[in-house]
Amino acid sequence: MPDSYTDSLAMTASVSKARLLSVLDTAVDGIVIMDESARIILYNKACEALFGYQSEEVRGKNVKILMPESYAREHDGYVRSYIDTGVRRIIGIGREVKARHRDGTEFPIELSVGEAQTPEGRQFIGIMRDIRQRKLVEERLSKAQAQLVSMARINALDEMGAAIAHELNQPLTAIMLYLQAIKRKSEGVVGLEGVLIDVIDKGVKEAERASQIIQRMRQFVEKREPERKPVDVPTLLRECVDLVTLGKMGEGVLLSLEVGEDMPELNADPVQIQQIVVNLIRNAMDAVKGCQKKAVDIRAWHDEEAISIAVSDSGPGVPQENLANLFKAFSGSKRSGLGLGLAISKSLAQNHGGDLAVDPVGPSGGATFTLKLPIDEPSAAGE
Amino acid sequence: MHVTIHIVEDDPGVGDALSLLLQQLGHETIVYADAEAFFRHTPPVDGDTVIVDLCLPGMPGMQVIRWLKSLNLQLKIIAISGQPQASIRRMLQGETPDILLRKPLREEALTKYL
Repeated sequence: MPDSYTDSLAMTASVSKARLLSVLDTAVDGIVIMDESARIILYNKACEALFGYQSEEVRGKNVKILMPESYAREHDGYVRSYIDTGVRRIIGIGREVKARHRDGTEFPIELSVGEAQTPEGRQFIGIMRDIRQRKLVEERLSKAQAQLVSMARINALDEMGAAIAHELNQPLTAIMLYLQAIKRKSEGVVGLEGVLIDVIDKGVKEAERASQIIQRMRQFVEKREPERKPVDVPTLLRECVDLVTLGKMGEGVLLSLEVGEDMPELNADPVQIQQIVVNLIRNAMDAVKGCQKKAVDIRAWHDEEAISIAVSDSGPGVPQENLANLFKAFSGSKRSGLGLGLAISKSLAQNHGGDLAVDPVGPSGGATFTLKLPIDEPSAAGE
Repeated sequence: MHVTIHIVEDDPGVGDALSLLLQQLGHETIVYADAEAFFRHTPPVDGDTVIVDLCLPGMPGMQVIRWLKSLNLQLKIIAISGQPQASIRRMLQGETPDILLRKPLREEALTKYL
């Protein structure tokens, strides 16, 4: 249809102007065109919503009307300086600035500026995007991330405390029993009573002191039960993906999230579950680093009893020799961190009545970690 | 009263110390490093005591306890564990052993039940 093409490419002034106006008014972003003296020539529909002024009210006015005081004061100077020196500070660069609504509210926008030479002189076009929403999300995410980091520290301490308590318990038990056995043996043996028994008693006391320290440490660690509340799994997973990609843009890794339908609510500690999933996704993203295909798939599904969340990657999988110690504390091969990530994730899952398991070679070639959490987990039974 | 005490404990230090002390108290002891070794041995008889660590390599301690109970003998069964409460709860799987002692063990705690 060459005819219609020719038609649509027609550059008669009226067609092109109508088209431009329609484009401007359809645009989601605010668009303002100003002349060399910063007077507003054009102000599109989106601007009306953004700033609260109607087009007729601002046309011909200085563009400063849309800026907070601090910017407005400098703006004329900026424009003058550019026209005099030709040094670009914003044109073609774009940046985050503050805008001002008619009612005085200041809000963040992303501003990009272009310029055009027209028969009527030099004109500047500003495109403005309201980023309040994005800012809110960023703030919420960075708060969530800070919370995750601090939770991770607390959990690492808990886990270490529990691991130390358990590891020390064994030799301490042996020491106490040995000492008590010697004491029994020496009782009644003439000449041994006095000093020897006295020293053994002291030894037993010290071992008991150590064991009390361990018990106190254990009680402290054991006090922390998950703080459960209803959790919407799809939302939680989307947040996890946002969290790991925050400020990284995914590093070239293709992240996909697939959530089954009618996912029931989970009664769980959302921060802890998020910590597990974020940890799994981060591990997966590390695993595909340097691989040709960099893909991480997150899937969630459920049956009558449990919700499962699987994180698979296209990396090399988990080597056989690492499998046995994968979930043990202090066994990690990564130089950063404490090697506690998976150990903690597993114990957090188990604290929720669930579990964390690995398939060393999953469907996408790499490892698949599956977190399984019971749907109706009653709060832990009292001791 | 002196009895035969079977000790199923994988930590050699704990197993040996426990055995030594109980011998001092006049009991006869046999130490097994895991559930499998215990099963290979002649089963306990009426009046024996069995001390089982809940966390064993291979077959878990709770399964040993279940098996012992199924024998319908007059046995005293003592479960011991150095694990945190949450892990113990998991290992018990809803069951409660007659006697559960947490490590570190003390002579008085043990003798109370012997």
